[in-house]
Amino acid sequence: MVTRTEPATSPSAAGDGLTYRPNVDASDRGTEVVLVADMPGASATTIDVTFEDGVLSLHGRVVPRPPSGRVIRQEYGIGDYRRSLRLGAGFDGTRIAADYRQGVLTIRVPRLTAVLPRKIEVRAG
Amino acid sequence: MPAYRTGFALPLDELRDEIDRLWTSLVTAPPLHGWGPRAEERVFPAVNLRETFDAFTVEAELPGISVSDVDISVAGDSLVLKGSRPGADATTEAPADATADATSGATVERPVGEKVVWLLQERGTGAFERRIKLPVAVDSQRVEARLVDGVLTVVCPKLAACQPRKVEVRGA
Repeated sequence: MVTRTEPATSPSAAGDGLTYRPNVDASDRGTEVVLVADMPGASATTIDVTFEDGVLSLHGRVVPRPPSGRVIRQEYGIGDYRRSLRLGAGFDGTRIAADYRQGVLTIRVPRLTAVLPRKIEVRAG
Repeated sequence: MPAYRTGFALPLDELRDEIDRLWTSLVTAPPLHGWGPRAEERVFPAVNLRETFDAFTVEAELPGISVSDVDISVAGDSLVLKGSRPGADATTEAPADATADATSGATVERPVGEKVVWLLQERGTGAFERRIKLPVAVDSQRVEARLVDGVLTVVCPKLAACQPRKVEVRGA
């Protein structure tokens, strides 16, 4: 089960001084869990994905976009993304694949082969 | 207890939030379509608007939306952003297929017809439309838009007649 382990915002030193919790879709597909996170404004080179003790952590650094002109309306803030999700045991951290395009990070976390269901053949004696 | 908790949400808090959202959606017809778990986040996309001497810059976050999925139209002082975001399944499948192409099928194998169990569904999908009223009319012929890493930037140059102008005072 995926559970949230991070508060929505916490102080940080980048952008407008806040970190943002990206919205995430997570789906269990049997052999793997697929996570999709909205992280617009980041880039593949500034995103860190780590997996330790069953917790998947995402950190996306967002380079502050140079402000130009006078602010008339500000409906969202710009800052780093950070979120941790507890996946639990039974996942293969060495085979995690992450892909970032169009501001969306997709992570595929495969289960260890040893924990996957397996049909056992019965041999004749 | 605060009205809204962030992060560690208890099941009862989530239920109460859900009832609040349902009630809000019933009593207030939102003028704009959008996504988001709370009423105030439902306007989509959120925009930041800046003004320079000769132009307005509208910036909006549109993650997972391709250039072909968004329509931008400008008339006078009105800017309209329209589009749609594919469903969650399509979003997760598309990058996987693309990765398979790029790395000659070196992705994790998935059996055909596997069952998908959703653990979290926070990202909205579907159609959106946002109308933004700019302070003055802009030159629709010179509006330019870019969509990079899910961030849309629309630069709307002001009409020459609407730009600030220094008026020279002539002597008698």
